[in-house]
Amino acid sequence: MKEFFARHGVRILVAAALVAVALSALSYVSETSSFLHDAAGVVTAPFRAAAERVGRWFEDKRHYYEDYNDLLAENAALREEVAELRANAQQADRDREENALLRELLDLREQRRDFVFESAMVLERSTSNWARTLTLNRGTAHGVAVNNAVVSGEGYLVGVVTAAGANWCTVQTVTDTDTEFGARLFRTGDVMIAEGDFTLMGEDRLKATYLPEDTTLLVGDYIVTSGLGGAYPSDLVIGKVESVRVDDDGLAQYAVLAPMLDFDTLKEVFVIKAFEIVE
Amino acid sequence: MLTRREQIIKWSVYGAAVLALTLLFELTLRDVTLLGAGLFLPPLVVGVMASLEGARAGAIFAIAYGALCDLTTAGAFPCVYTLAFTLAAILCAALAQSLLQQGALCSLAASALTFLVLDALQMLALALAHRAAFGAMLSLTARETLVSCPMLAAVHPVLSHLHRRFTL
Repeated sequence: MKEFFARHGVRILVAAALVAVALSALSYVSETSSFLHDAAGVVTAPFRAAAERVGRWFEDKRHYYEDYNDLLAENAALREEVAELRANAQQADRDREENALLRELLDLREQRRDFVFESAMVLERSTSNWARTLTLNRGTAHGVAVNNAVVSGEGYLVGVVTAAGANWCTVQTVTDTDTEFGARLFRTGDVMIAEGDFTLMGEDRLKATYLPEDTTLLVGDYIVTSGLGGAYPSDLVIGKVESVRVDDDGLAQYAVLAPMLDFDTLKEVFVIKAFEIVE
Repeated sequence: MLTRREQIIKWSVYGAAVLALTLLFELTLRDVTLLGAGLFLPPLVVGVMASLEGARAGAIFAIAYGALCDLTTAGAFPCVYTLAFTLAAILCAALAQSLLQQGALCSLAASALTFLVLDALQMLALALAHRAAFGAMLSLTARETLVSCPMLAAVHPVLSHLHRRFTL
């Protein structure tokens, strides 16, 4: 082979160069590809396609790993962003709740400029089945005293402080058996007594007794504190009339009142430390 | 007979166990209401302790535990828990010594008795102060006892296990 190329190599090279030049000249002057050119294309097409596919596969793999790494980084960044947005949303919810409470308090303050409030959180609800009390996180150190009335942000009566320590106080809710308020029918001004009742306590209700003879109570009538005697502020909503019943002895009527609040979900309340007595 | 040091250890462990049971109750069953009555743990603790420890130790425990309940839990009148638990502890100890052998059944009877004594005092106070209906109060007593006694499944094993460890 070596000898063959040594003897004919120059000739072969010249021949190949002539063929190449001829093919180039033909391809230049011809409108279509020459037979040889065409044949070479047909023969090499599968190999070129395979090479292209293999190249593309490698390219895809390279892109895949590049994309995967990018996605991982993007995912981590998005997770951080979501966590941040969630934290912001939670903070916004807390701010919204606080804002609503402060607006309610502002409304209440606008309505009753004589009230001196102390905001308090409900720490505990009574576990006993025989009493309905709440424990608040404000006490004598904050100016809270026994017999202070406690209201919700909307101005609905929650109850009365019955015991106060340095940084806590116990509130007897309006449905407790021991609770008693001078009350007034808001629609007519008729006075009565709103008091807790053992049988109704289990249903979170209280009753209005000593109803004037000529009083006509309607379901949905508002019963408010009368303020008579000056023990408690006037016009705090105790509850709505739910039904009118007759006593066990059949001699007198009483109204079942539904408080305006759900004591189980109450979180923040306001203790009225001072108010103007209106006789 | 336990030495003074052993007595201190025993009652400290009892105290820790009662505290743990109370915490567990507060975290899990505090807001559970069945048949219109909430679950109430203290009478179970007093009943079981008195039936296990006898009249003297049971009554001393009942006084301390009752005073703690009076300070932290609302009742029909002040010191209702101290009075009721002391009386109930003496009765429960008598029950455990004369009628029933110490055990789950005795704890159940003692707990029911403690509920009965406590609620009887509360009924008396409310009846005198507010003319509250006896029917409604008896119904609440029955429901409260009924829904609370299943908690003995946790209270009795813990306290009786400690009792056995320190006594036998």
